Amino acid sequence: MDLRKKNVLVIGGGVCGIQSSLDLADMGFNVYLVEKEPSIGGHMAQLDKTFPTLDCSACILTPKMVDVARHPNINLLTYSEITNISKGDRFNVTILRKPRYVEEEKCTGCGICTEHCPIEVASEFEMKLSTRKAIYVPFPQAIPLVFTIDKEHCITCGLCEKMCEAGAINYDQKPINMSVKVESIIVATGFNSFDARKSGEYGYGRYDNVVTGLEFERLLSAGGPFGGHLARLSDGKIPKRIAFIQCVGSRDEKSGNLNCSRVCCMYSTKQAVLAKEHVPGVDIQIFYSDIRAFGKGFEEFYRRSENEFGVKFIRGFVSEILEDPDTKNLLLRVEDTETEELIDREFDIVVLSTGLWPRNDIELMEKTLNISRSNDGFFAPAELQLSSVIATTSGIYIAGAAEGPKDIPDSISQASAAAMKASISSVRTHIGGITDD
Amino acid sequence: MIKPRVGVYVCHCGTNIAGVVNVEDVTKYVEKLPNVVTAKHYVYMCSQPGQVLIKNDIKELNLNRIIVASCSPRMHEPTYQTALEEAGINPFFFEMANIREHVSWAHINEPERATEKAKDLIRMAIARACLLEPISKMEVNVTEKALVLGAGVAGITAAYDLAQMGFEVYLVEKESHVGGHLALLNQLSRSRDASEILTSLTQKLSTPKIKLLNNSEVVEFTGYVGNFKAKIVQKPRYVNAKCDLCGKCEDVCPINLPNRLNFGLNQRKAIHLPLPNSYPPIYVVDKENCNGCGNCLKICENGAINLNDKPLEIDVDVGMVIVTTGFEPYKPDGEFGYGKYKDVITQLTLERILSKNGPSKGELVTPSNGKSPKNIAFIMCVGSRQESCDNQTIKPINAYCSRYCCSSTLKNALLIKQNSPESNVYVIYRDIRTFERGNEELYRSCRASGITFIRFKQDVPPTVEKTSNNQLTVNVKDYLFKVNMEINVDLVVLVEGMVSRNDTDDVRFKFSITRSEDGFFQEAHAKMNPLNTFAEGIFIGGACQGPKDVEDTVLQASGAAAKAAIFLCRGKVVLDLVTATVDEERCTGCAKCVNVCPYKAIELDETKELVQVIEVKCKGCGSCSSTCPIGAVQVRHYRDKQILAMVENILPS
Ligand SMILES: Cc1cc2nc3c(=O)[nH]c(=O)nc-3n(C[C@H](O)[C@H](O)[C@H](O)COP(=O)(O)OP(=O)(O)OC[C@H]3O[C@@H](n4cnc5c(N)ncnc54)[C@H](O)[C@@H]3O)c2cc1C
Ligand SMILES: Cc1cc2nc3c(=O)[nH]c(=O)nc-3n(C[C@H](O)[C@H](O)[C@H](O)COP(=O)(O)OP(=O)(O)OC[C@H]3O[C@@H](n4cnc5c(N)ncnc54)[C@H](O)[C@@H]3O)c2cc1C
Ligand code: SF4
Ligand code: SF4
Ligand code: SF4
Repeated sequence: MDLRKKNVLVIGGGVCGIQSSLDLADMGFNVYLVEKEPSIGGHMAQLDKTFPTLDCSACILTPKMVDVARHPNINLLTYSEITNISKGDRFNVTILRKPRYVEEEKCTGCGICTEHCPIEVASEFEMKLSTRKAIYVPFPQAIPLVFTIDKEHCITCGLCEKMCEAGAINYDQKPINMSVKVESIIVATGFNSFDARKSGEYGYGRYDNVVTGLEFERLLSAGGPFGGHLARLSDGKIPKRIAFIQCVGSRDEKSGNLNCSRVCCMYSTKQAVLAKEHVPGVDIQIFYSDIRAFGKGFEEFYRRSENEFGVKFIRGFVSEILEDPDTKNLLLRVEDTETEELIDREFDIVVLSTGLWPRNDIELMEKTLNISRSNDGFFAPAELQLSSVIATTSGIYIAGAAEGPKDIPDSISQASAAAMKASISSVRTHIGGITDD
Repeated sequence: MIKPRVGVYVCHCGTNIAGVVNVEDVTKYVEKLPNVVTAKHYVYMCSQPGQVLIKNDIKELNLNRIIVASCSPRMHEPTYQTALEEAGINPFFFEMANIREHVSWAHINEPERATEKAKDLIRMAIARACLLEPISKMEVNVTEKALVLGAGVAGITAAYDLAQMGFEVYLVEKESHVGGHLALLNQLSRSRDASEILTSLTQKLSTPKIKLLNNSEVVEFTGYVGNFKAKIVQKPRYVNAKCDLCGKCEDVCPINLPNRLNFGLNQRKAIHLPLPNSYPPIYVVDKENCNGCGNCLKICENGAINLNDKPLEIDVDVGMVIVTTGFEPYKPDGEFGYGKYKDVITQLTLERILSKNGPSKGELVTPSNGKSPKNIAFIMCVGSRQESCDNQTIKPINAYCSRYCCSSTLKNALLIKQNSPESNVYVIYRDIRTFERGNEELYRSCRASGITFIRFKQDVPPTVEKTSNNQLTVNVKDYLFKVNMEINVDLVVLVEGMVSRNDTDDVRFKFSITRSEDGFFQEAHAKMNPLNTFAEGIFIGGACQGPKDVEDTVLQASGAAAKAAIFLCRGKVVLDLVTATVDEERCTGCAKCVNVCPYKAIELDETKELVQVIEVKCKGCGSCSSTCPIGAVQVRHYRDKQILAMVENILPS
């Protein structure tokens, strides 16, 4: 069948949206992949290694990103947003292409502009642990490898324009609205990490050495702000004692999220193992209430982390963290549920295993898409057991962390499932008869 | 032969390689080697700029051989090969030197020697690259049909997805009914009646696009991606579709047998309906136990029974295969009194007891005396999360967590507690893993309902015994409250894990797929490719890939269907001819190679006294070339001279 005339829209270019797009494009559909940020990759691009195999995240993600870029059936629209969707016989979608102030076709990605730009801005990709320039790519393997000017900070000094040999800089670029008609839509907009400031007792934002999971991920990364040299933020000293606190913003009435975030037990275990590799002999204690090592190879990895790497797992509840103002060391008050003791322990770094939350802008997407959300805030499946990818409006599918917290393999399976359902819905007129949603 | 012009690219892999290997030094060394036109190093060769670097050099420097010294070829060989193709040279003029897994990661504390080893590996790669030949491709058509193996929830889902795309599907099921384990369950966690879900699934099977073959097995499987051939044997059911489920046959059948699907808690006849809601809704004769009396024949008014039915052999051509053979519940091997005490049962047995279509019509009763139990204990992680430890009660067999069972247990515990609030329910656990959306609330409801939770450590597991007055008791050390508890109970439910089926190897060899350490089928990549196998055109989904619940099973099944749909929609696959080739001048026709080829890809042409390779069947395994006494069969891309060039280059001259 000729599927090239059938269009599908994929919103969000994280690992999930990437997989859905590739599957649909490989089948022969014409795919519009819309990503808000300057590059695709989502959270996975920010990870150092991945549990439980410790595969380097960039190494396994990059080929898929490159495949997206070179696929003849994928129209990659980065730095773009959906502004309107209306439903007729197909979906009419309006896409806003934000101005990059760099012409995508001309930019060769050489990076000379960045070298000369005088403006330094905290890098979002590096969790603001280091800086980028006003003209930037979020990370070296970005797809597309096209620079973007952050107009909010640019002083229009004109240096980049002068230096750019390709003549790609265009300060007058205007936003463009384009509209496409699509047969079906996959929503793969992912998650936001829980804002740890809301759990005030842990002092995040006030204490230098209390960091979130995602920040610690960057600290460990060879491509990160310290080149993978693990150090404290307050004084650059190599940590001797690191604590992890589990379920921050998950399984917690106070924060308003009862659900489990499914990945933080394992990412902490992974980070603990990696920290042990970076700093041999570092004492690592993970304070948890249940260790949820449920996926393929997870329990085995968890056991190895304890037996082979000496990571300590302590079933206990951390009620409070205090900072020593002189040393910036952190004092944890823990109720050890195994010994029923109240213990105070000092650490050099505390990592908060922050949970996965719905995106801050999810309400806007909810309105634009006209689909429902569950009481946990994520997009709701119309039917839980027999296909959680089908959204409450027909023709729209949800996958990956946009549908609820999940790890990479589960996101990828769901991405393919969503691609399957979207393709069925798109060819339905071909075969007639069997439809179900 | 055109003179080789080699380009070498050394990757830093961030600091993964460059943190140990001195990439600059390596590059300088390599540059001077014969045939090398350019050598460069770059932070991430696999990134877009990395590939552009290669492509530009091919064009500008007229390179005809490319070497990337980076990671294992498993992930990125195709990436670079595509880059070569895009630059207009044959993708097989490419060689990878693995200086990450084999060098920087392996010798993390010896940077100098690691650097030397990296040089050696690259020198070897160059030697081989110079001898590489272009490999051509062959395009073959894909038969637009699929075979789905196993009609559990995964198989039905995958089959129906493909049917909806317009493809024909053979759905092969070993048992006489479909639904797999779902058919045996009472409720699913987050409460929906399992039989309701089963019905909504089986309704899908009425589409003419799906050919359901019950009672069937694939006995032979040959061919290659896009063009597989399967021989299926369908055992007779002895009852045909005229059966209207009147049940008269059952009344007159004299043979009584323990009902396997109800774990022997009740009896069934030789002619029986496997489950009250079985699909297809047709009786079946258990011929092994039938005495041939013919009572049923006589009473059946529809003439639906024929005790002389013969097995059917069905040959099918399919392009794609999805394996959805599911799991087996772990069978406790005497631990916790299982097998010794009647009232120690597994959770699947409990599901049957609680099910409206089960042996007690949904009433919770104990197997020993049919009374409703007042005190019920669940022991979790039975057959899961077993690590070797001194204590002999738990055998170190399955190290993994079975993923589905925590939530499933709490579902049953709460159901029992809600139905009879005066009962005492104990959940004896290690960690509660209610990670699924909404199941944390289930856990909270359980805690609020008065169910007692007792946490144990693996090295002090609970024990189950009968006291002198015939009272079943569980002894357990509560790990949190540090007390030893002795609990009198009426029913003990062992929450069994999932294990791989005992016929896994049979399926594995037939379909040339592999198993992971945990025994389940292995995916092509644990993170990025959970649905493909290493065999092209064969996909996996559901619990055969690893333990999981219905929701996740369904997702994988649809995902695997998508993977198959890619090929079916395209209608064509392109094969690289990395295949065996015969030197006709030298072949003596001894035919030794014909016998060793596992794919039957070499045949003897008796008139010419030569062997011939059937290229589409050949997988390039090399069995033939290593058998040929005179080296007349060679595998393209792995010719002796190409391999020997590498060996010679590493041996001291
Ligand atoms: C600290 C940490 C460590 C982790 N470690 C691991 C690990 O080791 N192994 C593992 O398996 N998992 C790990 N995970 C989980 C992993 O990050 C997720 O499984 C994965 O990122 C989910 O992918 P996704 O595509 O669904 O979402 P995301 O990665 O969040 O991607 C969503 C994409 O959509 C874009 N987007 C959002 N809204 C819009 C919009 N309105 N329009 C257009 N685009 C939009 C975003 O910019 C983003 O690119 C970890 C998570 C964290 C927080
Ligand atoms: C006690 C218990 C309670 C559970 N409770 C829940 C719950 O509450 N919620 C939930 O979501 N999940 C629950 N589950 C899990 C659920 O049963 C599985 O997720 C689901 O059955 C997996 O489906 P499947 O199709 O992959 O495998 P299966 O159900 O095992 O189906 C596989 C099918 O393939 C057939 N087959 C196997 N080999 C071959 C072959 N070689 N040729 C042909 N056919 C073959 C089998 O006969 C079977 O019909 C429970 C499981 C158990 C054991
Ligand atoms: S014009 Fe803006 S982006 Fe360009 S160099 Fe100056 S400050 Fe940087
Ligand atoms: S995965 Fe672990 S840390 Fe994360 S919410 Fe669940 S139990 Fe807590
Ligand atoms: S899901 Fe729960 S009961 Fe099952 S093996 Fe894992 S921890 Fe044990």
